[in-house]
Amino acid sequence: MNSKTTRAERKQKIVLQSIAFVILGVAFILIWNGLIKTRVISRQTVSTAPLPNAMPNSLFSDLYLVLLMSFLAILFGIACAFYLEEWLPKTNWIRRLVESLVAILTGIPSLLFGILAIGIFFSYAGTLKMIGGSPVPQNAEAIPFQHDITLFYAEALTFILMVMPVTIRTTQGALRSVETPIREAAYVLGASKWQVLMRQVMPLAFTRILAGGCRAMSRAFAAAALLIGIYTWHYTTESGEMPGRFILFLSGALFLSVLSSTLIETHRSSRRNTVNLPR
Amino acid sequence: MLSEKEQPILCIRDLNVWYGDDQILSSFSFEVQQKQVTAFIGPANCGKSTLIRCINRLNDFIPNFKSTGEILFKGVHLDASTDTTALRKQIGMVFRRPVLFQCSIYENVAYGARISGISQSAHLDTVVEKNLRKTGLWGEVENILDETPEQLSRGQQQLLCIARALAVEPEVLIFDEPCGELDPIETVKIETLVRDLKDNCTLIFATNKRRQAARVSDVAGFLYGGELIEFGATEKIFTNPQDNRTEQYVTGRLG
Repeated sequence: MNSKTTRAERKQKIVLQSIAFVILGVAFILIWNGLIKTRVISRQTVSTAPLPNAMPNSLFSDLYLVLLMSFLAILFGIACAFYLEEWLPKTNWIRRLVESLVAILTGIPSLLFGILAIGIFFSYAGTLKMIGGSPVPQNAEAIPFQHDITLFYAEALTFILMVMPVTIRTTQGALRSVETPIREAAYVLGASKWQVLMRQVMPLAFTRILAGGCRAMSRAFAAAALLIGIYTWHYTTESGEMPGRFILFLSGALFLSVLSSTLIETHRSSRRNTVNLPR
Repeated sequence: MLSEKEQPILCIRDLNVWYGDDQILSSFSFEVQQKQVTAFIGPANCGKSTLIRCINRLNDFIPNFKSTGEILFKGVHLDASTDTTALRKQIGMVFRRPVLFQCSIYENVAYGARISGISQSAHLDTVVEKNLRKTGLWGEVENILDETPEQLSRGQQQLLCIARALAVEPEVLIFDEPCGELDPIETVKIETLVRDLKDNCTLIFATNKRRQAARVSDVAGFLYGGELIEFGATEKIFTNPQDNRTEQYVTGRLG
């Protein structure tokens, strides 16, 4: 009996590790491709030179970014939701914090995310650009990742922030929709946690998890407002027109409001924790 | 030296259980003998389910659950370090509401074998047939093994649950009010089955129907308000109870 359980545990460990490796591998390949792509399809063509194929180029690079990031964020989001819902106890403070953050982030419209991106990531990106030497040098070939690459990362991070909360929330909902009696019925037959997850929970929750992924994707696709915001800021500051300080204040206010509502939500959810007990 | 039959399979000493600050069970001590039916009776919310869920450590999933005291299964101490998957293969359980998995009748019964790593179809076939025959369900479902169990009646579903639990070949089988949602005819079937199963495994039976406990059990325990008021041979509990409250409950004046 004992050797059997350890074998099951070993199998479980191998599966978990291989999943992590696959995700990392996919992420690495995609990011590497993205790095190459951003160099090949220069975004500058949109604003400066009216090249014949500038429009489809930039369209595809955006599409590529959206697809890549939502794919990664959805995978990480699902993994995160599984960990939160199945492994962490309900009273764990990390779980409460993450859940309340997720609750807030899902409610924020994408335009505000654009402003957030400018406020937090782009001030950093801008600094990078200055170190690299602005304006763009004559010999652009010599310094390949001039500022487009920082732009790419900032966008990517913003997308993750947008897509992940939606995924986490819907996946958690899907996992919760599998009722306790079904899990217990499997547990009393001697199934391990992993077997219950794979044989009972996954088949029942799969469609809802998939639907959640679709919802998150649609949110990512609808992020045109975010892109417009970022590009407007990016290209207008080069000519020195955008009131940077105004943006800074706005993002500061947003950050504070998020923080305060997090605190309120955490407090509330700590009082709301009630469980149905069997007698 | 004691013979195997006389050694208690399950021994509970001074068991206390809390959910948060609520004490659900206070100082339970009793022994369950092998190959007997032990019934726990008592009104709703008196701690029957909590008690029997302690035995297969199903309460571990409940936050704020804590317990003191000893539970010995075949002389082995059960605590947080127990291998629960191995334990639950030896202690099966059937719930009040029949919960069947979203797969065919065949797969439902074969579940226990499958999670133990058995996948030869010949072996699975024998397991399924043997256990369906044991519960007397084979004739009714022989031709619909590959269909979902939703078309079966409640009683048939409960019998299927019992077959599924038996397929793991447990030494102890726990019933948590198995007839709570069944009609009288189906109840009779389950009760007959319980008496038949006694030859092969130890049975623990929680119910709030006193007559049912009188019919099926060899040993009975009366729970009231989180305490074990009386524990002893069923005959004695029902004909000559020692405690006033037991007498009132058995005669129908209490609970």
